[in-house]
Amino acid sequence: MTAHLLIESGGPQTGPACERFLGDAARLARDGHQVVLFLVENGVTAAVPGTAPGIETFLRHGGELWVDTFSAAQRALPAADLTPRARLVEMDDVAAKLLEPRVRAVWH
Amino acid sequence: MPRPVPRTDVLLNLFGAPHQTDLVTSALRLAAALLRRGARVQIWTCGDATRLTGAALGDTKPRDYTDLGREHPSTARVVRELIEDHPDRLYWYVCRFCAEERGAAEQIPQVRTRAPFVFAEHVNAAGKSLLMGVC
Repeated sequence: MTAHLLIESGGPQTGPACERFLGDAARLARDGHQVVLFLVENGVTAAVPGTAPGIETFLRHGGELWVDTFSAAQRALPAADLTPRARLVEMDDVAAKLLEPRVRAVWH
Repeated sequence: MPRPVPRTDVLLNLFGAPHQTDLVTSALRLAAALLRRGARVQIWTCGDATRLTGAALGDTKPRDYTDLGREHPSTARVVRELIEDHPDRLYWYVCRFCAEERGAAEQIPQVRTRAPFVFAEHVNAAGKSLLMGVC
């Protein structure tokens, strides 16, 4: 199975495109692929419970949720405000994941 | 004779409007993180992102009137210094058509302008390609 790094930068306030992207992530995870969904910029707001239903579906199917520490801090979002299954990461973690040979990446 | 495009691990395509969101910050953070890990990186700018490295920007941003004593680097300087710190591992390309259309044909010497129809060569020369934003 392929490993995917999906990067959401817009967040739920940008309209249905975000939810569709989260849906793609959930479907890939459901089909057995290893999927990391990285939320960055305004995308981090999707990790606030109740803002993006697709996140819960994604996590239920076994996806891994990463949230950019810098973007969350800039938006005054402490870890306590995020879904407990989110992992706060640095850009170095994202670079390491991106450089893994079998990882495919999409920026949205 | 045109120089071949150097092989890189990652190509970051900076297509989105540079000042509408945090896109440029994210691209620079990701590029710096990749470089710290020893990766080879190329960045291709299109649309308004071509102005990030315009020579007319100079080295500093206009003074902040609420903080007159402090100097803030221009994006052109930030990019120049990043390239100078990684001379054999970071390549910055500017779409010539987009730059000329925006009056930014004169670029800092550390970047290279390229015709849009050679873009596929850059994708071919990269292990992975990320499209960041839309023109």
